[in-house]
Amino acid sequence: MEEKKGADPKLIVAIQMLSIGIILLTLGIAVLILSPLRTMASFLRLNSLLSTGGIILVGLAFAIGGYLRLKRVKKK
Amino acid sequence: MHSDFIITGMYLVLMFAAGLFFSKNIKNTADYFLAARSAPWFWIMGSIWATNIGFLHGYLAHGGAAYEWGLIQANFEWFQGPFGYILSGIFFIAFYWRSGIFTVPQFLERRYGTGLSTVYSFAWLIIFVVTIAAELYLGAMFLKNILHIPFWPTLFVLAGVVGTYTLMGGLGAAIMMEFVQFVIMMIGTMPLLFILLHFVGGFAGIKNVLLTQWAVSPQYFTVLPDIHHPYGPGPWIILGQCLVVTLGWCAGHQSMVQRNLGARSLYDAKLGYVAAAIPKTLGAFLYIVPMIAAPIVFSQLGIFVEKSDAAYGKLILHLLPQGMLGLFIAGLLSAGLSSISSVLNSSSTMVIKDFYERFLAKGKSDHHYFIAGRIATFGIIAASILLVPIVLKVYLIMWLEQTLLAMVLGPFMGVLLLAIFWRRANTPGSLAGFLTGAAFAIFIQQVLGIKIFFQISWWSFVVTFLVTIVVSLLTAPPKKEKIEGLTWESDFEAMVGEIAEKRAEKTAAKVREIPQRTITRPPWYLNLKYWATAILLVQIVLLFFFG
Repeated sequence: MEEKKGADPKLIVAIQMLSIGIILLTLGIAVLILSPLRTMASFLRLNSLLSTGGIILVGLAFAIGGYLRLKRVKKK
Repeated sequence: MHSDFIITGMYLVLMFAAGLFFSKNIKNTADYFLAARSAPWFWIMGSIWATNIGFLHGYLAHGGAAYEWGLIQANFEWFQGPFGYILSGIFFIAFYWRSGIFTVPQFLERRYGTGLSTVYSFAWLIIFVVTIAAELYLGAMFLKNILHIPFWPTLFVLAGVVGTYTLMGGLGAAIMMEFVQFVIMMIGTMPLLFILLHFVGGFAGIKNVLLTQWAVSPQYFTVLPDIHHPYGPGPWIILGQCLVVTLGWCAGHQSMVQRNLGARSLYDAKLGYVAAAIPKTLGAFLYIVPMIAAPIVFSQLGIFVEKSDAAYGKLILHLLPQGMLGLFIAGLLSAGLSSISSVLNSSSTMVIKDFYERFLAKGKSDHHYFIAGRIATFGIIAASILLVPIVLKVYLIMWLEQTLLAMVLGPFMGVLLLAIFWRRANTPGSLAGFLTGAAFAIFIQQVLGIKIFFQISWWSFVVTFLVTIVVSLLTAPPKKEKIEGLTWESDFEAMVGEIAEKRAEKTAAKVREIPQRTITRPPWYLNLKYWATAILLVQIVLLFFFG
């Protein structure tokens, strides 16, 4: 039986990284926009900013890393 | 509440879209069931932890138990979980890798033959379908209570989203989503700890109120209580829970093992499993420690909690502002969905590899099994939805899951240990041992009335171990060539060291036809031994302060 050639593992990881980055980035920005930061108590605001900021930063890192990997894999 | 609804909806749409986008790259069964063997160690780390944390085994049930029984619940996170992860990562994964398998029952088949592996697969499939149904039920119920949306449409949306990305993208999509869920849970839900500690005056404040003002027993703050503790006697936690249940779970649960089999190398598989002990340890700060402070918060805010499982939901509902609540809902949904997707993917792998390919359609093309895998995924999610009306009686389902696990995990550990460490263990011995151990688990539960789950597991493990030895000695030994590479070898260093890894990669490459890679020595900061030692030291420190 002829078998289909599998996907390139490097391409898979690049796509996974890019998708993870986009999901986290979009979700983090949405939470930041929709949170009523001005009306929150200062301790809650600090915690909210730290957690949302953390998610945005991780998302950004993965999106950039994934994009660069994808470019490198497609060049080959 | 409006913005929380939007955040939750957006999160589900993003997962659905990413799953569909990813699925375009999946071409054959190795891509579908083992993610093209591409996962680096940090993927494995996040994915294993997210798989382990669900509504049943995480925020709602474990958090609820911590609310009721105290810090004892942290023994999963600060003692047995990391122990199970590290031991499985260092020892058991290498055996699975070397035999080039897709599922744990395939390893049992190679070592012991078809009989035992079929029984084992069948038992796990029942547990998996029940687990998916229970997770779907708890997820829809949680959203209904928090966002006030109808139960059944919510359940279908959850099943649709998780079913679609798992069905289309297989293990690769599941691992990808699990990493997203790992980040959201870890970063998104951690603030609750700080908010609560701020509210009650730190950990000292919690102790002060509960011990001096409320006269709660000091055992409420102990991870390993004495033998008279009604919920979890310390010695039994070590014997039954840690050595049998948790180790059996980590080494024998298809969802946990399959993530490692999807790794890009044996070293990534091992390091990923060992590193997963870090988020596992931190997990106690997400849902155990906050729930110990919860009674004080509820009493100060005048909130009544009718069931301990509902405590976490009520806590975030009353304490968190809009937006942040949405992120928490996404975090909790993550826990449930990651468990569902991993179990769903694993059960479809078992249906195809352990039943369909073996008994119903031998020798078909790879594409045939790939399509069959997707159909199996659909069938399993449909069967789980049909089971939900029965799950509405939650106590019945928890009883069923625990009984089945007690029946499976003890006997499994018995036959697995002998499979690896005793060359003389054979097919009749293992089958007789497994079935007697499972029957004994039912006997001591139903007839002798032993209700503590890990006591049942321990005794069923002991019976399995002994029966397997006796029957194996009374029957013919297995042929040497049949068990080659599947058992422990005399040279310890050769097994865990680099020589074994090179050999394992070579064997795996032959069996699975993957390109052989050059093994280079990992940099010092990725050294498995350093990581394992550091994590174990943290556990010792935690047990020293809270044991």
